[in-house]
Amino acid sequence: MVAIIHKRSWRDFDWILALLAIAIVLFGTMQIRNAQPTEAYWAKQLIGLAIGLVAMLAIAFTDYRKLLQFAPAFYVFGIILLIIVLIPGVGLKINGQRAWIKVQGIGQFQPSEFVKVTTAMMLARYFGKQRVQALALKEMVVGGLILGLPIALILLEPDAGSVLTYLPILAVVLFLSGIKLRLVIASAAIAVVMIPAAYVVGVKTGMVKGYQQERINVIWEPEKADRRGIGYHTWQSILTVGEGGLFGSRSSVEHSQSGLKFLPEPHTDFIFAVTAENSGFVGCVLVLLAYMVLLSRLITGARRASDRPGMLFIMAFVGGLTFQIFINIGMALGISPVIGVPLPLMSAGLASLIATFIAIGFAISVQLRRFVN
Amino acid sequence: MQILVVLMLGVLTVRLYVLQVVRGERYAEIAENQRRRRLPIPAPRGIIFDREGKVLVDSRPIYNVILSREDVKGKDLHALIEPLAEGLMVEAEMLKERFDLVKSMPAFESIPVKQDASAGDIAWVEAHTLEFPELRVEQQPQRRYPANGSLAHVLGYVGEISPEQLKQQASKDQGLKPGDIIGLSGIEQIYDDYLRGTDGYREVLVDSRGRIQAEIEIVDPIPGRDLVTTIDLDLQNSAEEQLANSATKRGVLIAMDPNNGEILALASYPTFDPNLFSQRITTKEGRAEYHALLNDPQTPLLNRAVQARYPPGSTWKIPMAIAGLQQNAITLEHSNLVCGGGITIGNKFTRCMGNHGSPDVKAAITHSCDGYFYRLGLKMGIDGIVSMVDEFDFNKRTGIDLPNEVVSFTPSREFKRRMQPRDPEWRDIDTVYASFGQVYDIITPISLLRSIAGISQGGNMYIPHVLKEVKSIGSPDTANYKALVAFQPLDQSRPNPKIIPIPKDIHEKVVDGMWSVVNAGGTGARIRMEGFDIAGKTGTAQVVGLGKDTGKNKDHSWFVTYAPAFKPEIAMVGLIENSGFGGHHAAPAIRGVYDVYYRKTRHQEPPGALPKPQIAKRETPNKTKPATAATAQQPALVSNQ
Repeated sequence: MVAIIHKRSWRDFDWILALLAIAIVLFGTMQIRNAQPTEAYWAKQLIGLAIGLVAMLAIAFTDYRKLLQFAPAFYVFGIILLIIVLIPGVGLKINGQRAWIKVQGIGQFQPSEFVKVTTAMMLARYFGKQRVQALALKEMVVGGLILGLPIALILLEPDAGSVLTYLPILAVVLFLSGIKLRLVIASAAIAVVMIPAAYVVGVKTGMVKGYQQERINVIWEPEKADRRGIGYHTWQSILTVGEGGLFGSRSSVEHSQSGLKFLPEPHTDFIFAVTAENSGFVGCVLVLLAYMVLLSRLITGARRASDRPGMLFIMAFVGGLTFQIFINIGMALGISPVIGVPLPLMSAGLASLIATFIAIGFAISVQLRRFVN
Repeated sequence: MQILVVLMLGVLTVRLYVLQVVRGERYAEIAENQRRRRLPIPAPRGIIFDREGKVLVDSRPIYNVILSREDVKGKDLHALIEPLAEGLMVEAEMLKERFDLVKSMPAFESIPVKQDASAGDIAWVEAHTLEFPELRVEQQPQRRYPANGSLAHVLGYVGEISPEQLKQQASKDQGLKPGDIIGLSGIEQIYDDYLRGTDGYREVLVDSRGRIQAEIEIVDPIPGRDLVTTIDLDLQNSAEEQLANSATKRGVLIAMDPNNGEILALASYPTFDPNLFSQRITTKEGRAEYHALLNDPQTPLLNRAVQARYPPGSTWKIPMAIAGLQQNAITLEHSNLVCGGGITIGNKFTRCMGNHGSPDVKAAITHSCDGYFYRLGLKMGIDGIVSMVDEFDFNKRTGIDLPNEVVSFTPSREFKRRMQPRDPEWRDIDTVYASFGQVYDIITPISLLRSIAGISQGGNMYIPHVLKEVKSIGSPDTANYKALVAFQPLDQSRPNPKIIPIPKDIHEKVVDGMWSVVNAGGTGARIRMEGFDIAGKTGTAQVVGLGKDTGKNKDHSWFVTYAPAFKPEIAMVGLIENSGFGGHHAAPAIRGVYDVYYRKTRHQEPPGALPKPQIAKRETPNKTKPATAATAQQPALVSNQ
């Protein structure tokens, strides 16, 4: 019996998804090594990959419906972690953010990355019931609360970048749960009209401060912005990307933008700029293609899911992933503001890596059970 | 959902294309430039030697603690003031001042924190690289001048190029940049092109904090060329010593080789410490010191030899005698004129300090008879005096290779019109004044010396100069070989020497008079040296228009001379300001220098006995009472322009 299940499991296992994820991580590890040749970040990343793979397999071969039953427990556990991290002495303060828990042996990890998964599970469970009519106000409020609690705690760290990556999770879940279409269209339309209008009015009336304008200007015209102050990160990242050219920079790793430390945070936030410098336009397009195939596989998996909670979880994951990829790479390319968001599967960081593999494991688990009723 | 994903990734791809393919090369260049840095390697400045190869000025390497300008961009420097002031033992206030100044200045390479840092300071910087990564230690050659101000007016000094100088086209052509050290005065200025050399550089790869990671290229500096001056340090020291020990400690003493115009000594007192400009001027104390020098009534910065004008007094009688004979106002056969104890023009009596009867030109020189020269001047007329001035180039710069030489004021009808617009007519009384070195004759010591040296030579007037040669550099047949350069007149249109046609017999007559001044009981008799024929002429220049304080404003004491009288080797001019009779002050000072010269060239003790004091009493100072209207509008005698 067990053997049969296993045989079938291996057959239905989404090899493309898993191997693609591993390939991206390995490529990313190379770039981490390029970014910080003298540090051991790349080795840690490989350890993270190993842990992530074990976690992925364990979850993939566990029935996700059982996991969803325990979603409230996981959720509460996550909330507790977010509270613990705020306690001085337990939570580690780096760059003014108390967002890391120190763990003997492996260093530190960021609970907000894991809580993203537990929150997505909780939302999938809550909105996963069979539904016939559009979302009620009450449901939206409860969904908002499920998301709001961890967000509030993360804001206390404070880590605004992480918070942003939570928002698309709820957005996707609400959208797929039959939020009234006119509500979506209306809010989208209002946003399209109001945001530029508000900006223009704000500039005219002086409500938008000079430095805030500067931040926006950096995106429009990075070359004219203050390259040493507020525009420094963006400008250096653009230079780094630009230096890559078509096939990658000729200068050695030690004397590259990251090697000489002109590019800040090269192994985490700006790993894509490092990739661009080293592998050029060709390498970057391949990376983007890899992400596209990965996301497509996940979306396909969601379509084939046998129940709503499974589908919702995968789609929430896809939403978060897409958003994070876009914001991070956009930041490296100077088209989105500088927000400390890691590039999934590529940026150095165990928590993000392992959490992503857990989510992939969950998605595979959903897929594996698509024929089982 | 899938469409959304494709759309987003599509946007990113387009942007990537723009950044990497369209603008890639430009960004690569910018990125390359921000990690490359050129660190200048200053060229060592040439050494200046005296004529015997003794070092007059050289440079020694010093270490400066600096802030790398690139690394402190946008940082608040004021946070650094306290720790740096404490660690490097510099004044916090000075640092604050400098940091404030930096804000308003164009981006220079570095900000000096401490100059001439000690080994302890350097160790402190190295121990604190983590806290202050922007601190660096930089080596710089620094000019070292004699601290007592010896030769200050000849050597001049170096300093940082000023923003005004930077704007000049010549500076741009030479590739000078802010912070460059150039000659600002003296021969440092005149021969800066030779001395300066060309800076090299080190092109390095730096990280974002400006720390050097690798070296790309080194271009060695081309050192500046060494100069050999005509200065004889022994004579120079002696001249300075004489001035320093003089009655007023103010004056000038110049020695020159009359055979070629080489300046052997040029001392102007009081002097100053040129190290102020090359080392301390950037500090607050240094600036205070500079302002004190500028406002010092004794004008130590003034090079009295070339930038000051004085009435020559009786020394003027030598060129007057030559010109009088040349112009046939008197003849060798009949040169006797009445002294008369003075002269009456209109209702004004201008006296002579004695009654010399009816001397001939030799006796008139020997005893400095004013009455004689009043009458000689009247015989020559103003036109005769003007042509004398022209002949001896008193109305021109001598062309000495020192900066800011001024032109003497010389008598002419125009000069009177300018001086006295209410009485513009040139009168006989003016001719009398112009004929004995007062009122209309206000000349620079160097131009007087040039004329005396020229007369000693029978009319060969060379251009005085302090450069002997610029040493050759490199070995011949190599690309960077530069040949020796001898002195060239800065003004190429000038004949050197300018030959004045003085007939031999006229020359001999006047020389005879000058010899007698010292050797036959004349006004300079007290400096006579047995066996060494000194020719000379004393002068006592009345200080007019300087107020009524006769104590402070006593007469200037002059002595012009050359020796040996009949085979000249050395010509000198000495002036002691406000000290009194020429024979009492300037002549003995010059005698002191002659002693040194004699020891050097004759290798034996100079015959020393000074003549008895009473002989010196025969000196006849030109104490006159000229029209007060003329004196009141007299230009300042000591002009510092």
